[in-house]
Amino acid sequence: MPDELERLLASNDPLEPSSGFAAGVMAAVRRQAAEPPPLPFPWLRFLVGVGACLLLAGAGAALWLSSGDALLNLVAPLAPVEAAGPELGYAALALAASALLARLPRALVR
Amino acid sequence: MPKKGRMGGTDEDNADVARVLAGDLEAFAGIVRRWQSRLLNLAWRFCRDRAMAEDMAQEAFLKAYRSLSSFRGEAAFSSWLTSVALNSYRSRLRAEGPPLLGIDLVQALAVAPAALEGLHDTERTEAVRRAVLLLPPRYRDAIVVFYFQERDLAESARILGIAEGTLKARLHRGRELLRRRCAMLMMGSGRPLEQGT
Repeated sequence: MPDELERLLASNDPLEPSSGFAAGVMAAVRRQAAEPPPLPFPWLRFLVGVGACLLLAGAGAALWLSSGDALLNLVAPLAPVEAAGPELGYAALALAASALLARLPRALVR
Repeated sequence: MPKKGRMGGTDEDNADVARVLAGDLEAFAGIVRRWQSRLLNLAWRFCRDRAMAEDMAQEAFLKAYRSLSSFRGEAAFSSWLTSVALNSYRSRLRAEGPPLLGIDLVQALAVAPAALEGLHDTERTEAVRRAVLLLPPRYRDAIVVFYFQERDLAESARILGIAEGTLKARLHRGRELLRRRCAMLMMGSGRPLEQGT
C-alpha cells in the first residue's frame, strides 16, 4: 500500500503568479538600483578612535599609579567643597573634567 | 519554464547575469520572468498565503539582485537562486514566526476529531501541508525543499547546504513527527499511514 503521507506531501498544488507580479518585482529592483549605495562603515576612523581611547586609558592608569600623593594634592582644593556636601564635590569634579575635555580638541588642533 | 533550468544553469540565465553585472538592469526582467513561478511556489509552500508568498518572492528577487555578483557560475543558477530565496524565506519566518494559518485542521483534531471524518482529499492535503509548517524549522525546511525539488535528495541537500545523510535523517524524523501529528487525519481517509521508505 502506498504511503499516504508521502502521497500527500508529493502532491502538487501550483500557484500562478498574479499578472503584475513580474512588473512589481522589476519596479522594486529599479527603485533599489536608483538608490545611492550604502555608506561604508568608517573602519579606519573607528580603529583610530579605539586606539586613542586605549592609549588615553593606559596613560591615565600609568599617571595614577606613578603620581602617588601628587594626584591627591591636585584635587586637594576641592576638599572644602566636599566637606560642605559630598555631592558638591562630585559635581565640581565633573565640571572640572568637562572643562578640561572641552579644551582638549582645541589643544589638539593647534 | 523553470523546470527546464531546474537541474542546471541555462545559457539564458548566464547571459542575463552577465548583462546585469555589466549594468543592463533590464536584463534582470528575463531572470524574473523565467523564475517567478518557482520562487513564488517555494514561498507558497512556506506560508500558504498568496499575498505573503508574492511579497516573500519579491524580497528574494531583490536579494538575488543585490548579491548577483556572488554567483560564480560554479553551481547551477537554479540552485544558487533557490538557495538565496530559501535563506530569505527562513530569515523572514524566523523574524516573524510561523505564518498565521487560520483554523488549523491538525490542531482542531484535539477538539473535535469526528469533524474531520468527512474531509475531502484536497482539504486533507492542505491540513498536512499546514502541519509541515508547524514542525521545528530544520524538519520543516527539509520536507518543504525535498518535495519541492521532486524528491531529488542531492539537489535538496545542496540547496539546504547540508550533507545528504543529514537531510535523510531530518526527513525521517520530520515524517515521523508528521505521522504522529496527522495520524487521526489520515484515519479519516481510510488509508492508514505506513512507514515510508
